[in-house]
Amino acid sequence: MTVCSALLSHYRRHPLQLLALALMIVLATMLWTGVSHLTDHARASLAQSEQAIAGQQQLVREDGQAVSVQDFAYLRRQGLCVMPWLEVQRPPPEGRVIGVDPFASACFGSDAPGQARVDALNGEPFLDIAEAKAMVRQGSNGDLSLLVPVDVEADAVPADYRLKDFSMGPATGELGESFLLNLDALGVLVLLITALLVRSVYQLGLVQRRESFTLLRRFGVPATRVQVLLLIEMVALTSVWVIPGIWLGRLLAEILGGGFGQVLESLFDAPLYAVDGGGFVLPALVMVTVVLLACFADKRLLRRLPWLSGRPSVVWFGVPVLGLGLAMVAWPFTLGWLFVGIALVFVAVGLLTPRVLSYVAQWGAEGAGAITLWQRRELAVLFRRLALPVVALQFAVAMVLAIQALVTTFEDTFERWLGQRLEAEFYVEVPEQSAAVDGVRYLAGLSGVGDWHLVQRGKTHVVPEMAGDDAATSVEVDLFSISPIGPLVTGWTLLDAIPDAWEKLATGQGVMVNEQLARRQGYQPGETIGFTLGEQSLALPVVGVYADYGRPDGEILVAGQILPETFNTRFQSLSLNPGTLAMAEIEQGLAAVWNTDQLTVRDNGSIRSLASGVFDQTFLITRAITVLTLVLAGTSLLIMGWVFFTTRAWYYRLLFVWGLSPREVAGQLRWLAMFLTGAVAVAALPLGVWLTWALVSRINPLAFGWSLPMAVYPGFWLEMLVLCLVIGLAISVLMRRQLGAGVPAPAMANVAGGGER
Amino acid sequence: MVASLLTARDLNKQFRSGNQPVSVFRNLSLQLDRGESLALVGRSGSGKSTLLNILCGLEKPDTGSVQVLDEVFEGGTDRQTEARWANLRRQQIGVVFQEANLMPALSLLDNVRLRARLAGQNEDDCRDWLERLGIGELAGRYPDQVSGGQRQRAALAMVFAMKPALILADEPTGSLDRHTAEDVTGQLFDLQARHGCGLILATHDAELATRCSHHLDLGHLPET
Amino acid sequence: MTWCFQPLRWGLMAFVLSLPACQETPESGGFAGLGEQVAGEAFAQPAPGDRLRFPEDFGPHPRHRIEWWYLTATLTTEQGEPLGLQWTQFRQALEARDPGSPEPDPSSWPLDAAWMAHAAVSFQGQHWFSEKLARGGIGQAGATAEPFEVWLDDWHLQVEDDGRWRLQVSGEGWSYDLRVKIEGEPVAHGDDGFSPKSASGEGSMYFSLVDLAIEGEVTLGGETFGVSGQGWFDREWSSQFLKAGQQGWDWFALHLESGDKLMMFRLREAGGDFLSGTWVTPEREVIPLGADTMTLEVVEHRDTAEGNVPVQWHIHIPGRQAELTVVAPPGHYWNDGLFPYWESPVSVTGSHQGEGYMELTGY
Repeated sequence: MTVCSALLSHYRRHPLQLLALALMIVLATMLWTGVSHLTDHARASLAQSEQAIAGQQQLVREDGQAVSVQDFAYLRRQGLCVMPWLEVQRPPPEGRVIGVDPFASACFGSDAPGQARVDALNGEPFLDIAEAKAMVRQGSNGDLSLLVPVDVEADAVPADYRLKDFSMGPATGELGESFLLNLDALGVLVLLITALLVRSVYQLGLVQRRESFTLLRRFGVPATRVQVLLLIEMVALTSVWVIPGIWLGRLLAEILGGGFGQVLESLFDAPLYAVDGGGFVLPALVMVTVVLLACFADKRLLRRLPWLSGRPSVVWFGVPVLGLGLAMVAWPFTLGWLFVGIALVFVAVGLLTPRVLSYVAQWGAEGAGAITLWQRRELAVLFRRLALPVVALQFAVAMVLAIQALVTTFEDTFERWLGQRLEAEFYVEVPEQSAAVDGVRYLAGLSGVGDWHLVQRGKTHVVPEMAGDDAATSVEVDLFSISPIGPLVTGWTLLDAIPDAWEKLATGQGVMVNEQLARRQGYQPGETIGFTLGEQSLALPVVGVYADYGRPDGEILVAGQILPETFNTRFQSLSLNPGTLAMAEIEQGLAAVWNTDQLTVRDNGSIRSLASGVFDQTFLITRAITVLTLVLAGTSLLIMGWVFFTTRAWYYRLLFVWGLSPREVAGQLRWLAMFLTGAVAVAALPLGVWLTWALVSRINPLAFGWSLPMAVYPGFWLEMLVLCLVIGLAISVLMRRQLGAGVPAPAMANVAGGGER
Repeated sequence: MVASLLTARDLNKQFRSGNQPVSVFRNLSLQLDRGESLALVGRSGSGKSTLLNILCGLEKPDTGSVQVLDEVFEGGTDRQTEARWANLRRQQIGVVFQEANLMPALSLLDNVRLRARLAGQNEDDCRDWLERLGIGELAGRYPDQVSGGQRQRAALAMVFAMKPALILADEPTGSLDRHTAEDVTGQLFDLQARHGCGLILATHDAELATRCSHHLDLGHLPET
Repeated sequence: MTWCFQPLRWGLMAFVLSLPACQETPESGGFAGLGEQVAGEAFAQPAPGDRLRFPEDFGPHPRHRIEWWYLTATLTTEQGEPLGLQWTQFRQALEARDPGSPEPDPSSWPLDAAWMAHAAVSFQGQHWFSEKLARGGIGQAGATAEPFEVWLDDWHLQVEDDGRWRLQVSGEGWSYDLRVKIEGEPVAHGDDGFSPKSASGEGSMYFSLVDLAIEGEVTLGGETFGVSGQGWFDREWSSQFLKAGQQGWDWFALHLESGDKLMMFRLREAGGDFLSGTWVTPEREVIPLGADTMTLEVVEHRDTAEGNVPVQWHIHIPGRQAELTVVAPPGHYWNDGLFPYWESPVSVTGSHQGEGYMELTGY
């Protein structure tokens, strides 16, 4: 019998152990492959969709009429690079498609909106404009826009036309980016958790094979030879088992990707491109590397850093690293710096958690009764011996907590953002040549109509600190007026306000500013803000600061009544709820008073439900991935815990010999296992909350310039705790069956471990 | 009449080896009174451990009855029987195995205290027991920090600290060198005699067996 | 005469266009794609005996699959330096339409035809080229016979009140604005306008205006040059030209100082090239040239990144006592569009002096 077959014979006797190792490699590979696959695809698709919607502008007619094919031809013959964009809304399941003209987009070069290349005309969502037009003729709603490249200046635009921003629905770019970052962090954490899990299984194998190693050494086989053979064994094992792992990961990504693709498609008009097959080599290499690092890195690392391997030195090393990491995250300079800080915190927490839990378990136990003392000591042993799966579960729970908080915060923010932007059920644009006041008069005289107001937008300059008429120091901001101030706006979230803020705004005694302007210029409620309205200069107190959920421009909100005739209104619309009337009726009435047959009406209700649905789905996928990670980490702790408990079976059996009834022994085991996993959940809590904070208050501002509100969700903490307790319960149930299986031989305690303290 | 400490009647135990039933012992009966000691001798695999397990309720005989003090057991695996056995082991029957009698996470003293506490005895004289067995200065050490002989002495301390009526010892010195083994068994017999409890000692050491007041030879291999 | 490679290009575009709509199998395989039968029998195919009609034939031919308007000019700047330029506009129909039937409604964004325009300027060894694309039927591109106008976006060729044509084109960093005076009647090539393209009879309707007096301005990189000179205008349409195996095309339109004009082309194919041409005397007598009346030989190639291009030729037409050496000026003259080809001004020496244009495809 060779040394090799002697080593392998272990698995012949314990096939379940081999299976556990294989299972762990397969599951870990699957999870990592799945997540990284999704992230890659999300990145590619988002990049394309970003291009699709990034900073486009369009040409509209000065007379307010809708643009037509004649306008297109005319503008092209004027030498302008213009492309048609016919957006067709069809009822689900078909959804939205966009008709483009690949000939016309040629002049956009590679910046063509939506990369409306010919090979992308597959209906997802782009198709030839003639086909889109045919859908419109068959009854779908279609909306034609004429896009021009971003570098077209206003003076290049022919008379009777003007430039206007072009955006497709809610500006979700930043939310999308944020979501990606979120997925990235998830990928790294999954890899980390994977490494921990593989290492725990490997170490367990080592412990259980100690007898074989001792024998081999007695037979004169050098330790290094055994090491090399183990290395080869792991490489071979991993190489074989990553393949089904990768395949399953792909499958997972495909299954999730189906929903994910729909989300991206409806959100950003970017189809999730098919999995670009092949590519088994890279994930396989990554996994083999991770497995080898996880299993063998410490052999070299610890030799170099002997101070790391000793028990007290872990604390000496861990505490400063934790401090350094926390400081780096608290005062971040760059995103990279921040990520290093987060990584340090995780390393330190990983090192310290088992020690701390072990210490806490024994803390104050000296004075306790003998049984309590035994429980506490046993628990302390468990924390130390199961350090890796414990830390893996802790990370997984922390990650799930953070992602959940982040996702819920996103959802909530998005909801409120939608609420602010889409408060009324309908928007009706005031046609260019028509007087808004006619529409206002019409609505005012209409009985049965719900809440409504007129919105007028323009530009103004604020003069910080009233520094005279020095235009150089003034700042251009958006001006946004509403009249009358009514229930459609008074429900907005005010970050800060003086009492009766809405009344003061309505009566023209003050203005409100958005969060962005308040932050940038340091305005606070009660302070006076100087700004211009057409010819006149005004100084009014700021009565409130309203949340803007990431709007990049400063904005002032005033009551319509203080707007002078001379003010250059760039855009006007009516926001209204039809109340008891039919919207069609109101539309007809407005078209009549404005003497136009081309009313632009936006149905906010459908936009809102579409947007909400899309986000729900997006977040569902994030959650699915995090839950999978949690399940993997939980399963790992379950397996590890069970196997470790088995090595200690003799000692639990001693309790039985000493007169505890089977029921009492089972109770002790249950207490141990549930306390173990419960403590993991508790230990994960601060890490999870901290990670949430780092994501919303550090990463988001650094990456996108705005922070999300930090929120905590104790209800969800409770769910996690219960989940962890269930894992503990499962361990104890397995253990009880194990103990009931027969009389364990005491000899096993010595040769196969289990005698640790 | 005062009942004897331990009475076993017509015990039968079979194992299955493949399809063949293998009889470990047939119609075995024994009786032990307080202060007496019984040596179970025989080769490895002759059923010594099985018999000890049956006598403390860790295993069940196929037929026959066991009476310990005034508790009579005639088969039955119900919860109540389990509880009666558990109660006996907890307070009256001390068991010493060849090794691994101590909880690894507890010091020697804490192990003794735990055993005394389970038996409902005072924890205060636990240190005395360690001292009487000559390992008082090792009280704060953990099992993996002391020698095998010291561990077995601590195991004896645990047993005596519970003040048992009956001690079952399964090759208690099997893993010790001769000198240490003699030392440890000396203490075992000494204390047993002083406290007047019964002792059943499973051993394959004939010399050790001669120190017991009674013998039971299970020397034959199990019959097919 | 620009058509031999264009069908491939159009084939490509048609493929590109038809992808979402009809999943037709695209034509492929170089110029052989032209040899395929026209999809749908609705397209009309020119045949011997077909006659030209004016002014209608200056306008589009919706029953035919492909046609183009093509102008080349050999000009001289005020400083006396030679400058060549060209403009071509193509129409590729996806559906045939009877001239009498109504045009599709523009608001349906019809896809019955696609248009492409090319323009280039060659000056001092440098070459500027630009390409434009448009969908037909919506007014962005089109052509009319009366008044004559051909346009795509802001490029257009149109007749002015004084009867002259005006050609305006602008590319990235260059533009030209020309007035074109037409002298003489249209010259019908081949059999009174039917120009065969292979021995087996495929061909096109083809006529030229060979006497164009051109003046105007050319702006290159911010500098404007006054230019004047002579030009050549081609009209050609068909539905199917090439037969399988034809690889490429060499075409010449030459103005000789004797007042003679020469158009000749060669279709290269494996089994023997197809050679054809037209000689126009100073008296405007039109003499068709068959393959047995002339020879065309490559004298010298030029190695370029895009391919090895024959830049010096020898033309021998015994019946006209013509021994011509045709040479492209130094430089690279690739029209680098969707499907690149060579197009350069040439000078003529030998028995006659002269100048003109040369177009080479399939290299």
